[in-house]
Amino acid sequence: MPIAADFVKSVTGETFDSLVLASLNPVAVEFMSYGCEHCRLLEPVLQKVAKSLGSREEVLRVNTAIDKELANRYEIEGTPTLVMFFKGIEVGRVVGPDPSVQVLWNAVTRPFEELA
Amino acid sequence: MIRKQTPSKPILLFNDECAVCRVIARWVEKSAECQPGRSSITVRPIGSDPQILRTLNPGLDIWDAYANIHVLMPDGSMKTNGEAIAETLRRLPNTRWLARSFNVRLFGRRPFQAMLNVAYTVLADLRPLLGCESCGTPPPWLRPFHWITQRIKGRLNARNHTVTTTRLTTRHALTLTGRSDVI
Repeated sequence: MPIAADFVKSVTGETFDSLVLASLNPVAVEFMSYGCEHCRLLEPVLQKVAKSLGSREEVLRVNTAIDKELANRYEIEGTPTLVMFFKGIEVGRVVGPDPSVQVLWNAVTRPFEELA
Repeated sequence: MIRKQTPSKPILLFNDECAVCRVIARWVEKSAECQPGRSSITVRPIGSDPQILRTLNPGLDIWDAYANIHVLMPDGSMKTNGEAIAETLRRLPNTRWLARSFNVRLFGRRPFQAMLNVAYTVLADLRPLLGCESCGTPPPWLRPFHWITQRIKGRLNARNHTVTTTRLTTRHALTLTGRSDVI
């Protein structure tokens, strides 16, 4: 996989509160691990979706191998898990989505559309 | 800024989340230690930090490192897949003789290296069947066997995720995220 522009920014335990919980915009957080093959298959698709979303929605990633505390806090039992936040509240969650643009687009946008 | 480390001997990277890879890595490590003097190859887990990995070789992507075996050479080059296996065997005292065969050329080709490449691909494909949770789903030709192993484990459908060991004791996520100071 070539090293290209990263549209999915990494968030850690130190920055999670300010970048996710305090954000006034919709945020999708992917809880992932680099050793997970399912996450590897999802990665290029997630990059495409994050690029298409632009400023409409933030897509971030948490490396569960490093930030175990965050994974515990949000009851992550498998990777990849996408958790959608709006104004600091969890509004949706998808575990192991199919690595297709349509499925992923729906997963990260639908919870916010239902709120509106 | 990434500061590149220059290793004095080749580094074999292995997936520490895969049981099959761990067993092979341990065998390589033990064999390398048998060498009189000092071992000629370093074995280390890939880990989970892409930046640390890039200090070993700036061109090394962590996703690639997990997808297939890599040996990082002291001259800055990388060997992958069957070539990495051959390089590892070349560095071990008890398999050096075997590794010589991978350099044998017949009609401009290296038949033994080609066989090793196929053997590596098959082993890599087999990992999900051998109990590697993080290795994903196997390729189509192994799906019937995968289906059988999943049934034996009591699963009706193949999963699209890797089960992690992080298990919560209490659910307090919504309470935490629902703090009044962030809304």
